[in-house]
Amino acid sequence: MQPRERGSAQLIVGGAVALIAAALVLYPVFYLFQAAFDVGDPNVRPPTAYGLDNFLTLANYWEIMVNTLVVASAATVMALVFGFVAAWILTRTNVPMRGALEQLMAVPYYVTPLLGALAWSLLGSPESGFINQLWRAMGAKEALFDISGPLGIAWVMALFEGAVAFVMISAVMKSMDPALEEASQVMGAGRLRTMLRVTLPLVAPGVLGAAVYVFAEMLGSFSAALVLGSPNRFYVLTTAIYQLVSQYPPRMPLAAAMGVSLFVIMFGLVWLYRRLTLNRTYTTISGKAFRPRPMDVGPLRWLLFAVCAVYLFLSVFLPMATLVFASLQRLATALPAMSNFTLEHYTTAFSLNAVRSAMGNSLWLGLWTATIGIVLTGLIAWFIQRSKLPGRHVLEYIVMFPQAVPRLVFAFGMMWAWLVFPIPIYGTLWLLLIAYLTVFLPLGVRTISGVIVQLDRSLEECGEVCGANWFYRMRTITAPLLRPGLIAAWFLIFVASVRELGASILLMGPNSKVLTPAIVESFFSSSSELTAAMALIQTVVVGAAMLLFLVSTRRLSRIES
Amino acid sequence: MTAAPHIEVEDLVIRYGAVQAVGPVSFTVGAGEQMTLLGPSGCGKTTTLRAVAGLEKPYSGRIRVGGRVMFDGAANINLPAEERGLSMVFQSYAIWPHMTVFENVAYGLKVRRKSAAEIKERVREALALVKMEAFADRHASQLSGGQQQRVAVARACAFSPSVLLFDEPLSNLDAKLRGNMRIELRELQHRLGVTSLYVTHDLEEALAMSDQILVMNAGNIEQNGSPDAIYNCPRTTFVADFVGSSNLIRGKVLRDRSSADTVVIETDGGQVIHAATCGRQYGDTACLSVRTVHLDIADAASAPPQHPNRWPAKIERSVFLGDLTQIHVMWGGRELIIRRAGPQHWQEGQQIVLSADPAHCTLLEDN
Repeated sequence: MQPRERGSAQLIVGGAVALIAAALVLYPVFYLFQAAFDVGDPNVRPPTAYGLDNFLTLANYWEIMVNTLVVASAATVMALVFGFVAAWILTRTNVPMRGALEQLMAVPYYVTPLLGALAWSLLGSPESGFINQLWRAMGAKEALFDISGPLGIAWVMALFEGAVAFVMISAVMKSMDPALEEASQVMGAGRLRTMLRVTLPLVAPGVLGAAVYVFAEMLGSFSAALVLGSPNRFYVLTTAIYQLVSQYPPRMPLAAAMGVSLFVIMFGLVWLYRRLTLNRTYTTISGKAFRPRPMDVGPLRWLLFAVCAVYLFLSVFLPMATLVFASLQRLATALPAMSNFTLEHYTTAFSLNAVRSAMGNSLWLGLWTATIGIVLTGLIAWFIQRSKLPGRHVLEYIVMFPQAVPRLVFAFGMMWAWLVFPIPIYGTLWLLLIAYLTVFLPLGVRTISGVIVQLDRSLEECGEVCGANWFYRMRTITAPLLRPGLIAAWFLIFVASVRELGASILLMGPNSKVLTPAIVESFFSSSSELTAAMALIQTVVVGAAMLLFLVSTRRLSRIES
Repeated sequence: MTAAPHIEVEDLVIRYGAVQAVGPVSFTVGAGEQMTLLGPSGCGKTTTLRAVAGLEKPYSGRIRVGGRVMFDGAANINLPAEERGLSMVFQSYAIWPHMTVFENVAYGLKVRRKSAAEIKERVREALALVKMEAFADRHASQLSGGQQQRVAVARACAFSPSVLLFDEPLSNLDAKLRGNMRIELRELQHRLGVTSLYVTHDLEEALAMSDQILVMNAGNIEQNGSPDAIYNCPRTTFVADFVGSSNLIRGKVLRDRSSADTVVIETDGGQVIHAATCGRQYGDTACLSVRTVHLDIADAASAPPQHPNRWPAKIERSVFLGDLTQIHVMWGGRELIIRRAGPQHWQEGQQIVLSADPAHCTLLEDN
């Protein structure tokens, strides 16, 4: 028996994963800040002089700040309206097919803003947009609307973020004890009075929390503004950073200063969000999920059903149908002749070397990111939740860090960091793998932590008392018990990796193309029909992965019960 | 029956940050004995048990098991739980749901790299001990609470540990099953002759199962003794109150009538009571404990008992509780509570004679 050595196995592994996580996160953040304060010779690294000049220069870009604020505010308001209305209808009224609608409300989130933006650009660009074509065909002179303006971009962002707002707000509504409302009614208050004096004040903190969270997401969102805005030189902060980095000559310090500013604002918002949701003095959350008694709204319920259906139509069905419709035409138009239909874009997509290698790379990256990711994030989550390792709270903050930073900004730091790294991985898939592992740390840790905290501590302690050492316990008790969570995390990371845009677009090299940036490239340089075909191929791959996930988890749970 | 000490805990202190959760506490458990830590929730009994198991790191003190140092704050020794060779039954049973009953029970043997044949034999023996042989191939999710409890016990015994630790193992069972399991566990412990440390907040469980009881309160030991001593000679007001129901009576000591064995006090209401000192010291005032079942009531007309503790009193009310009837009487300006078995026929306002054998009136240590 060698108690000292064995007892420290846990310490060594814990220290190692903590170091890896800290290096992954802090190394690029350091270089991001270094670049932001670099006012010396732009061609010399490390910087020859430091100062605040880059931040002062930002004042010249006030227009971009205004754009960002307008788009983010408009999108937040719209997303909250979508989310709140849908949450109220689905948790509080007897709308028909409530269960099915509730499941479907998550779908827009999986459609992603990029697909939405590609589809809505086909629908709503002022000249060639299908809707505007139809509008003109009906005799109008002007376009009905312009999707490439700030409100159009906000509209597309809101359609997809609305699902997030819905999940957050309906969670608040569901966790409210219906007895609180019933008490008000018993005391003699009418339905309206109850709604105004009891329901609204109770859900207000939760809705405010959702608003802050959604606003932060909007500030950092990239793909919709990139696809819809940048062709006509309408920039928000994220697309401006991308522009500054990818133009010639690049203006790295300025981009870094923009990134740092965005990062600071988002960090503040995420902090505010956590304060709003944690320090909830109104204990509407009592741990139990209530199923509030739905209100009988009479025939009005069909109108409410229509409201939900329209939202799903605009955010899911219409975009997907548009992409399919466009991808099957030689030259996409709203009212095509029969001879215009073709499969050539799909054959092109599959035959293009660039696309094939991008797809292969994306799948390779997805598999490895997910596989390494669940080991890394599983261990991190375990150490944060279960160990007595000193510094585990610091580790938690570090790991959650990438969540508060737009992936594009994070990737900028990485690009800058790994350029000077002694091992030449810049421009290779390895850099993308490292980048994905970093930006998806919060996703994996959050998913697996959620499962770990539900595990009874004594299940592991019992193994300890039975004499099993740390490795043996991990292998025979913890890992098997966490299997459902690990599988869920694997698929979430896989899907997120295959669809990653913000980090990939900056970090991929000519020999390490991946799918989503390739789709965006194709949108800018080839035809939108081919782009639509590529986007659909990606959707099918992701959809197949999700289906596989659902089937495999069903089967597992059936075996276990 | 005092065996050689097997578990020795000395000046154990456990802290959470600045809060001292336990201690300092010291106690020993003799080989083959069952010691119970009894106390209300939050008194530090589970924390103490977990420190012995190695699941909680104490702040200071020493823990030795079978002469082997498990923890020594001064020497900076703290063996991890997996190297202590103890075994434990958890409050939630902690039956691993992804393993069968057999795999659960075999775990400790597999860890010890026993041969497949030996594992098979010893798992069978352990399951036979708790009458669960027929369930070896079931999954934990297919077992009832009582069955999970038995598997947890079998798993804890399977690798023949020298010490068994129990963390409120019966608290999740319903009352009837709890009564049966209590007796089974006690018999099992006798049969295996294993030293055990048992944690519970249930008085009956502690009295029924233990050789020694350690009553804990707010992280400290209130009293350490046999079940009989704990019940009949509570040391402090806390023990008197927590261990069964007691009437606590305070009064002025009448020194001229008291001796080393007997103390006589007079209450504010002017009642005089004779009580046993249990060898304890007393000052100018003293507090006595009289169990609710040790108070007698008789008709005013019936023959008086052969001891000085008898007083006139008045029935306030009588509450039927099933096995017992709880009677409240007015005695010298205060209420006393009496519990009696059998049919009771007292009327509200009835004048009666209340009496209590001085041997059952116990002097408490003033604290």
